[in-house]
Amino acid sequence: MPRGQGAEKSGRPANSYNSRMANDVKPLSLKREGDGLKIDWSDGATTFVSWRKLRSSCPCASCIEERAKPADPFRVLTPQEAAAGPPEPTAMKPVGHYAYQITWNDGHSTGIYPVDALRKLSD
Amino acid sequence: MNPAQPQKMALPGVKNLLAVASGKGGVGKSTVAANLALALHAAGQKVGLMDADIYGPSVPIMFGLGQVNPQTTPFPLHKHGIALMSMGFMVDPNQAVIWRGPKVAQAVQAFLGQIPWGELDTLVIDLPPGTGDAQLTLSQTAPLTGAVIVTTPQDVSLIDARKGVRMFQEVRVPVLGVVENMSYFMGDDGKRYEIFRSGGGKKLAAEAGVPFLGELPIDPRVAECGDNGEPIVRKYPDSPIAKAYLQLAAAVIAESSRPGAAPLPEVQL
Repeated sequence: MPRGQGAEKSGRPANSYNSRMANDVKPLSLKREGDGLKIDWSDGATTFVSWRKLRSSCPCASCIEERAKPADPFRVLTPQEAAAGPPEPTAMKPVGHYAYQITWNDGHSTGIYPVDALRKLSD
Repeated sequence: MNPAQPQKMALPGVKNLLAVASGKGGVGKSTVAANLALALHAAGQKVGLMDADIYGPSVPIMFGLGQVNPQTTPFPLHKHGIALMSMGFMVDPNQAVIWRGPKVAQAVQAFLGQIPWGELDTLVIDLPPGTGDAQLTLSQTAPLTGAVIVTTPQDVSLIDARKGVRMFQEVRVPVLGVVENMSYFMGDDGKRYEIFRSGGGKKLAAEAGVPFLGELPIDPRVAECGDNGEPIVRKYPDSPIAKAYLQLAAAVIAESSRPGAAPLPEVQL
């Protein structure tokens, strides 16, 4: 039996990609509320996530690398970070059909948050 | 510097933006893209073809065009009724384009955003193989209506095509369907020879839960017409493969007229 066919019988549902697409939950509206973001979803759910949590879960390569290192107790905030205070977005723009890019008040803007990630991070 | 900085492209005059992609190289993406563009044109659409393969552009040869002087020539070029743009119009064919990814992303954005495409029913985008810079830039900046995945029947092609499908689903671009190229060869004896095995395209479509858009047979005239600058759909419109392309065009029109992915809502900050 060719290898490909064997792999298909390994328990993955036959139409795994499609069921994923069909179940794709979409945000209907996104609004600032207090110190976070309120999202209404196409499945009727409403979720909230704080800016702090979003900022600390930034999915960009340099933040992922930073988080993978042991925390540095002597890290000094950059002047920009110190001046910024608690994290807040200065802009949040849609990217294609699948994500949002957030520009933070500390100047960081390379994080592109996929819609799925926003849902997972939200309560 | 952030090379991934997305800039929204509006392309107001373009109704459908259709990406022709595959994971693997050499499955005939450019041939399919060129012939599909001509088949859509034959079906009465106003069509453009954008060659997003910056390193290995093949639109110029398939349309019998070469390098032009970008200072004096207005883009897009027009041939056989199709509006065309390709890196090959700007670079000597014997010259290699040796660029890092961010430059590719820039070129793709420029082709989309700075070329006056005008009013088009469909802009077909011929993507390079893989799931890299050109694909990502397009998914982030262009309002893609959908993607057509090209594969050949054998497993070695499917493993890459599957990644192509996955990528589009990851970035939530609707996959309109899978088309199987080089499916079979019809001999003079009327027998069907399945040179690269069979059923791969159907298998991938079923697995991905997307429509199977059809089989395109092997015909030596396809290569001959491509090399001579007049794709087979135009040169031999009555050949079986041209008919297969017309069917493919009809299927693509039907699939792309369905309500696709709506743009994401803006955030109220």
